[in-house]
Amino acid sequence: MRRKFSRSFDEIKEMVSFTDEFFKTHDIDNSIRYVVDLCMEELFVNMVTYDKETDADILLEMSPHEHGVQVSLTDFDVDRFDPRGIRPVDINAPLEQRTPGGLGLYLVLKMVDSIHYEYRNRTSKITFVAGGK
Amino acid sequence: MFQIEFSDTGTVVIHGRLDAAQAARAQEFLDEIADRCILDLAKLEYISSAGLGVLLRTHKRLMSGGEGLRLINVSNHINDIFMYSGFDKLFRIEVADPGPRSQ
Repeated sequence: MRRKFSRSFDEIKEMVSFTDEFFKTHDIDNSIRYVVDLCMEELFVNMVTYDKETDADILLEMSPHEHGVQVSLTDFDVDRFDPRGIRPVDINAPLEQRTPGGLGLYLVLKMVDSIHYEYRNRTSKITFVAGGK
Repeated sequence: MFQIEFSDTGTVVIHGRLDAAQAARAQEFLDEIADRCILDLAKLEYISSAGLGVLLRTHKRLMSGGEGLRLINVSNHINDIFMYSGFDKLFRIEVADPGPRSQ
């Protein structure tokens, strides 16, 4: 299943409905739903927040993968950004040193089974697998 | 559907999904709190990093003058997110009672 979403946080509600439909249609185990919702939102929010030079919609694709789900988000006409290269968050830092930023992609890398990045012709595509093991 | 409100006992109750689309609303509500605060998360279904940021920002502000946020009735899957984020080391967290074991 695939659908395009405009670059607005208000679209998260529609993405959740899209995921509901996908999980029902393919009878996917709901135990991986949280990981899918969280990783999808974090990647989408990152694209909307930092890829400001485009107003193109973001393409979301989902397909069954072994026992889980493969999810891709594609952002068009943007600079390269590979989320696998982010600096890790120090989760043991004391409160005064903790800041809200950076946790989203850190959680994605922590929770997915695998993540893949492609960049070609100014198109950035991130694919992750959840629950595939 | 997201909702944040005071209960009759003064506890702040959060319902539904605290995602990036709702974070500003939650922050606005919590910014009005000036003293120690208990957050009842029994009905919180989902939280993303945007929601975690709201909790962290509020906790830091309140800790500078007192006791900060206390998070109660936290479900196991929300607690997993707190642990991945290191929030278990920053907040007082009480996990929800799972109830009687079914046979």
